[in-house]
Amino acid sequence: MIPPRLTTSRQPLRLLQDRVATGLITAGGVGVLMAILAIGVFLVWETLPLLAIGDTLALAKLSPMAWGTLKAALSALLFAIPVALGAAIYSALFMSARLRSRIKPTLEMMEAIPGVVVGFIAGLILAPWVERHLASTLVLIIWLPLSAALAGLLWQLTKTRLRRYFPLSWAGLWLVPWLAIMMALALWLTPWIEQQWLGGDLRLLLDQRFGIDYATRNALIVGIAMGFAVIPGIYSLAEDALADVPNTLIEGAQALGASRWQALWKVALRAAGPGVFSAVMIGAGRAVGETMIVLMASGNTALLSASPFEGMRTLSAAIAIELPEAAPGGLTYHLLILAALVLFIFTFLVNTLAEVVRQRLRRRYRQMGGPS
Amino acid sequence: MTAVPNNAASPSYRFNWLNSLWPWLCAASVALSLLMLGALLTLLLVRGLGHFWPATLEEVTLRSGDIFAGHAVREVALPLQEGDERLYFTGNRDLEGARWRWVKVEEIVERTQPVDLIRLERSPWDDFIGRLVAVEQAEQRWEGEAAWQRLTALLALPASQRQESQLLLTTANGQTLRQPLANVIHAQAPNAMSWWQKTLAWGDAVWRFLSEGPRAANTSGGVWPAIFGTVLMVILMSVIVTPFGVLAAIYLNEIAHQGRLTRFVRIGVRNLAGVPSIVYGVFGLGVFVYGIGGSLDEWFFSDTLPSPTFGTGGLLWASLTLALLTLPVVIVATEEGLARIPDAQREGAVALGATRLEMLTRIVLPMAAPAMLTGVILAVARAAGEVAPLMLVGVAKLAPQMPIDGEFPYLHLERKFMHLGYHLFDTAFHGEDVQAAIPLVYATALLLVLIVLVLNLTAIFLRHYLRRQRGNEC
Repeated sequence: MIPPRLTTSRQPLRLLQDRVATGLITAGGVGVLMAILAIGVFLVWETLPLLAIGDTLALAKLSPMAWGTLKAALSALLFAIPVALGAAIYSALFMSARLRSRIKPTLEMMEAIPGVVVGFIAGLILAPWVERHLASTLVLIIWLPLSAALAGLLWQLTKTRLRRYFPLSWAGLWLVPWLAIMMALALWLTPWIEQQWLGGDLRLLLDQRFGIDYATRNALIVGIAMGFAVIPGIYSLAEDALADVPNTLIEGAQALGASRWQALWKVALRAAGPGVFSAVMIGAGRAVGETMIVLMASGNTALLSASPFEGMRTLSAAIAIELPEAAPGGLTYHLLILAALVLFIFTFLVNTLAEVVRQRLRRRYRQMGGPS
Repeated sequence: MTAVPNNAASPSYRFNWLNSLWPWLCAASVALSLLMLGALLTLLLVRGLGHFWPATLEEVTLRSGDIFAGHAVREVALPLQEGDERLYFTGNRDLEGARWRWVKVEEIVERTQPVDLIRLERSPWDDFIGRLVAVEQAEQRWEGEAAWQRLTALLALPASQRQESQLLLTTANGQTLRQPLANVIHAQAPNAMSWWQKTLAWGDAVWRFLSEGPRAANTSGGVWPAIFGTVLMVILMSVIVTPFGVLAAIYLNEIAHQGRLTRFVRIGVRNLAGVPSIVYGVFGLGVFVYGIGGSLDEWFFSDTLPSPTFGTGGLLWASLTLALLTLPVVIVATEEGLARIPDAQREGAVALGATRLEMLTRIVLPMAAPAMLTGVILAVARAAGEVAPLMLVGVAKLAPQMPIDGEFPYLHLERKFMHLGYHLFDTAFHGEDVQAAIPLVYATALLLVLIVLVLNLTAIFLRHYLRRQRGNEC
């Protein structure tokens, strides 16, 4: 049977419509991509006048900020990488599937919390608190991992029956109250210890004995706050990489007599290494470019100091503060655009590297026969 | 150590025993993240919502004989001394010159909670805490309990219908004050309230926070203009970003030749999501504000010129900048949706005689619609929380005019606007009385977090639903 045909008079119209629409979509798509490209072109174009000036002194103005950016990013990563990778390892390889399906979105929600809110909490609530309780904060940083290890040790020593109520696969959840209690314990005990051994106030001691200045908003605060903001990004990508390691690899290692941790450390982590690396890279990109948290929690003092107790001023914060007041076309204006260009190129390169590494990893997994 | 099982006999016992602690450290980092997230949200919830609860007013007598009224805010240990000091909010800035008072706890002789203490919210000078003596209106005069009833009755009326009256007030230390009713916004006698009345008052305070404008240099009042500005900017942004994002995604996925170049472009677009938002702000300032805005001013608004119309930050430029910022989010999400549609659907449509346009509009786009929606919601969530670029392209500390009003052309794209996130930043860091502003900053932060989290949750559920549905289909 011959299928019903459209009247021939409409046929050319349809083809014309199709041609026009395809053209429009192409034009729109290419236009959007060009607009995105324009960002890079604009930044480069606006920094060209700096070459004409050729004043190296002007560039020296940026160096404290470049240093500040590095310092802020490093202190954030110092906190974020262990926590995020630990969380990724645990939730990819130890956590029960049901808990994982709840915890992962929850932790990814952390990323959605706006930087202003984190910055506000860090700058106005956390910073004064840490200033008053410096010793407690430092003790907590050491005490928390120790108390986690203590929980593990106690678990090893308990009877098998009791262990069933507190399985390792749910430890991510029931360690929360444990950590909270341990934290409270440390906060309760430290002032007493400080009184006994340090003469009352660690901050005064640092100042008088070692001559270390303490600024309220400093690298320590930025590290904690920005670490908090960076953790979910690193966690999410690293977890994906680890969870995609073909199960056959781990099972094979365990069949050959490796313990669960050995199989993980020697096999899974090696296999997922590039993915973990790209996760860290993307976290670094985010830490370098983050503006509001640094603006609110770093004190914005342009210092060249390595002390964790002093503030800094980052490139992004400098742009946010100075650019609205800089006259368009002036030296400061071009310098700040150079700063933006540096941020742009850095994050773009880092992200491209991460993306390429990740794609290559995905191909490798496919060859190993795991999930794509 | 006898309880350690199994491999206690093996030579590498020590190694294994230490190794078995590692998973616990990993588990603890999950727990720590959860703890931090929980602590942050709890802090915001408690402090943000608690601020609106009517605080019990105390009358405090000091050892020096000084008497004042206020509510206790917090207590901290004295530096380098024994004992604590307590911070009281005392209001009465017109009489005392300050709204806060630090008192050493040991110097307090007596604390009482008299039921007749009231708290007035006024438009200049902010809060008054003290007692109401009388309400005077022309020839009439009410005193005592009747005065309070008269005052509440007057305040219940709309502002235009209130008769002109004077309030006779005294503070706790005996100073008197005549206060015109016209400046009073709200009156409360929290000590005389029952639990239920307090709950009602709490709800009322939350509502006024959401629906009123800021007062007293952003240290009291509400955030309505900021909510309005945020929503309007986000709507404009999604109107701009949705068509362009979808167009670019369709081009990349359906029309472009799938070669090396397309792959690079795709990676590039994906990476733009990681470029710091402040860089987009710089681009917006340089190109939109100074470039396009400056030219528009020269062409169309040259009569007002030294003062810029479009050549300064404004609603339009902010929306455009954020649209550019969220473009990668929409493109990536839409492309993901398009890539999920099996090729058989497309081939089937073409085999039945459809042109490419018909295939796209009848088959592909309806199937990808939830993915696009997810992308737009994620973009909105990102834009609502983003502040750094807005600081460069048009957000204002206090916008004198709303961007929408009754004046032609009704929507004023060149005006500056208020934004929740920037409002938060500004009140917390540039306010004149940060102490007074902090409770409001908490409330604003809570509101912002709630908006962003709800948007994100919607996107997550939508995506989840979509994946399940698609999974059944093919």
